[in-house]
Amino acid sequence: MLSFALIFIAAIFFSGIISRTKSIFSGRKGPGIMQPIKDIIRLFRKGAVYSQTSSFVFQIAPTIYFSSVVMAMLIVPFGQSKGLISFNGDFIFFAYVLALGKFFSIISALDTGSSFGGMGASREALYSMFAEPAFFILIGSLALLTGHSSFQEIFSALHLGSYITYALAILATFVLLMIAMIENSRMPIDDPKTHLELTMIHEVMILENSGFDLGLILSAGCLKFAIYGALIVNLFIGIFPYEYTIPLFFITQFLIAITIGTIESFMARFRMGHNAQFIFALTSVSLLIFFGALLILGKFI
Amino acid sequence: MNEEITVFSNVKIIDILYNTTLFEFIKTMHESELLMYLSFGITLLAMIAIAYVPMKMKAKLATFIVIANAMITSWIAIPALFGDALEYVMYAGAFMGNITIRIDALAAWFMVIINFTAVTGVMYGDGYLKGHQSKPAKLSLHWILFLLFQLSMLGVCVVQHGLAFLIVWEIMSLSSMLLVIFDHHKPNTIKAGLNYFVQMHISVLLLTVGFIWVYFQTGSFSFEAFHTFFGTNSNIWLFLIFFVGFGFKAGFIPFHTWLPHAHPAAPSHISGVMSGVIVKLGIYGIIRIITFLSSDLLLLGEIVVSVSVLTGLYGILNAAIHHDFKKMLAYCTIENIGIIGIGIGVGMMGLGNGSPLLYYLGFGGALLHVLNHSLFKSLLFYAAGSVYKQTHTRNMEKLGGLIKQMPKTALIFLIGAIAIGGIPPFNGFVSEFIIYSGLLEGMKSSNLSQTSLLILTFAGLSIIGGISILTFTKAFGTIFLGNPREKMDPTPQEVSRLMLIPQYIIIAAMLSVAFFPQIYLTIISHIVQGLSVSRLGFEPVGFDSFATMISNISIYSAIFIGLIGLFWGVRAVIVKRRTQSSQPTWNCGYEGIATPKMQYTGKSFSKPLSKILNFLLIEKKQFTQMKPSELFPSKRNYSSSYLDFFEHFFIRKITRRLLYATNYFKFIQNGRIQSYVIYGIVFIIAIFVLTALNILQ
Repeated sequence: MLSFALIFIAAIFFSGIISRTKSIFSGRKGPGIMQPIKDIIRLFRKGAVYSQTSSFVFQIAPTIYFSSVVMAMLIVPFGQSKGLISFNGDFIFFAYVLALGKFFSIISALDTGSSFGGMGASREALYSMFAEPAFFILIGSLALLTGHSSFQEIFSALHLGSYITYALAILATFVLLMIAMIENSRMPIDDPKTHLELTMIHEVMILENSGFDLGLILSAGCLKFAIYGALIVNLFIGIFPYEYTIPLFFITQFLIAITIGTIESFMARFRMGHNAQFIFALTSVSLLIFFGALLILGKFI
Repeated sequence: MNEEITVFSNVKIIDILYNTTLFEFIKTMHESELLMYLSFGITLLAMIAIAYVPMKMKAKLATFIVIANAMITSWIAIPALFGDALEYVMYAGAFMGNITIRIDALAAWFMVIINFTAVTGVMYGDGYLKGHQSKPAKLSLHWILFLLFQLSMLGVCVVQHGLAFLIVWEIMSLSSMLLVIFDHHKPNTIKAGLNYFVQMHISVLLLTVGFIWVYFQTGSFSFEAFHTFFGTNSNIWLFLIFFVGFGFKAGFIPFHTWLPHAHPAAPSHISGVMSGVIVKLGIYGIIRIITFLSSDLLLLGEIVVSVSVLTGLYGILNAAIHHDFKKMLAYCTIENIGIIGIGIGVGMMGLGNGSPLLYYLGFGGALLHVLNHSLFKSLLFYAAGSVYKQTHTRNMEKLGGLIKQMPKTALIFLIGAIAIGGIPPFNGFVSEFIIYSGLLEGMKSSNLSQTSLLILTFAGLSIIGGISILTFTKAFGTIFLGNPREKMDPTPQEVSRLMLIPQYIIIAAMLSVAFFPQIYLTIISHIVQGLSVSRLGFEPVGFDSFATMISNISIYSAIFIGLIGLFWGVRAVIVKRRTQSSQPTWNCGYEGIATPKMQYTGKSFSKPLSKILNFLLIEKKQFTQMKPSELFPSKRNYSSSYLDFFEHFFIRKITRRLLYATNYFKFIQNGRIQSYVIYGIVFIIAIFVLTALNILQ
């Protein structure tokens, strides 16, 4: 329950901090930190325009996408406190619940009959598929290392053995951060700030969405960032008491947001053809973590 | 009346039979044996009757008999699912000797799955073949074969005698081959049928070799002889022979190449049943052999896992790129066989490691996935068949926007697509989750190679899941969403209720697996314990707590649905107060109506993937290049299709060489009956002489 509340709070500020960082780096005055949330709230109050081509899939998809993110949020733990849902292998459930949301957002993009939708949908499906093994090998290795298989148990047992595990946690941070970028279609995979048609993945997928539905999609995006941020925080906090971990949670989320903003300010988007290689390279980083886990367990003898 | 009879006779008719003197000899039989004969009898009668009943009644009679058979055999099978195995011996002449008929929990599980799929198949087929009423002979043959097909599949599960097994196996292969070539006026269908025919016989050859090997070592064709064989000989080679033999049926790479030809060629209800159950009988065979193994299980498990994960990846990659939607489903079957194989391999590792939980998770996941896949794959084939029936094309690039004309079929396909991706809240997730848990459990082993293999398999399974999302969003999106890509004449309409009802039944069964998994897990736990508890002395440690956890997951899935419902409700309330309008899709400000050609096609959807993996997914393009001197280019064609890597690079090369060699023996098959008679006589004389001279014993 604690993690749910914390993620929710972090999600409110996350996008704002990213855009604020970007505006500072580019020397603009820029919008306030609360601007993305204000946008979402305004979208919730707006009417909607639906494509004549679209069917019920297009209408229900944003709701399912949002629900899947909320469901995933329930699984994420915080230090000692479990998520609302916690069982052995819950990270598999986590990944597959998010997959349902992805499934629907992809088919809703195809529902409009626009070539933009198809373009975004195809790429979203491809890139998220490539990111999948990185996540599974990462959590699988941590499960191997700790001997547990639920998020909460893995994270709380991670640093009980030795301090080398912090090195693994840093590698894992990189992987999770990149997965967060892929999942949210940010730089260097996709550029959210260019003109709509040129943002090749996520923005073109949601091109036809408007009003309440768009609000749901955008808020799901904010939550997704905060969820991955929370996973990263969990990699480090272990079983520390709450008075340290809660401030640490917000500091880390803040740092992650700033990092993302910085990356977006100084990097250009990859060529589409290179994305797949880049994403697949994440899997090799995950494999490094696996070998690290084997080393710590002393299986390499 | 003796005690035995009072115990078993819970059917009235049989009581009467017992009391008449005419059926005195039947007293010696077991009730289930009697029921089995009853089922044979009515099927044989019905096979004759189908040929003579009027056109309208053929399918109805077949449906009735299939349901009756399903009820009778399930009546026998279901007690075995929960309780003890049923065993009796059937005397089948001097040559075959005593045939053991044994229905244990494993056989019963497959029997129930076969029956369920056969029933939905025949119900759907009734509606599907409505357009063929002008060809009564063709339809009669089709339904007769269907009955034979169901019975032979059931036979495969119960027979525990090498020779008899080969015979029923052969009947199954032949009847299904003849069912596949229903549209035999099309050359492609015949070609696919022959391909299937030949590959099945390579499979039978290997199985025969296996059984004969055991026979020579032990002197018995009974399955019990496997215990003796594996107890004293090396386990590896015989298992591999059987694995390849059954692998042809199941569709493990590189023995899968018949599937992508046979499934599209067959009528959809046959594709559904074939993909749903025939292929699973290969899995049944493999599991059956595994129950007799006694050593080298770890190594064999690693082999099975490696082959399976490659099968899964290869299958789903090919499924992602093909635009013939039945071919796509056929490749997807290969993928699911891979997933089942991973489960089996993990289970074998569990046996090898002596870890009961791993064993349970592996085989349990595999068996549940057998059920799940038979459900959603037959559902998808039926839905695809409905699309084919209404549009007469299997090419998804010609379709689009069908959700408006066929909303029910679209919804059915959508449910099947989500389930097959292993996504909660449907049933695919339950079995995939068990296999994932098995992999996680197996990773903990102290064996480095096992740990490394399993984590790669873990990643492989996640990629399979990811690509299956790509595959099915592509299929659903291209067939059902957007604008129609070609004008259909007549406009496609929703299929009849006769075809929809079996699909609803399957969905109900799928939901029961998803939300009440504990029922199935109890049965599976019983099956898995029965497989080798006597041999290995496994205590069922951790089985039950795991089953409880799985049923908790189904509660979470229900919560998930509740959450979706909640947000949907909130949205409905809010959206009602807002203005809504319907406008054309935005085209970058381009004035005029968007043409359907502007949509992404299925091919362009999967092109990035096939481009990255172009060494495996070979694209064959056919077009004529424009010449520089050609000032006014004329109309030209461009076509592109994908080739199967294994078929193209291995099998075709082998067959080409074979063809070259066998060409020299063409004179033997000269088409003259007289020569064939001579061959027969020469053969008989040769046998006679050799026996007389004591060379052949």
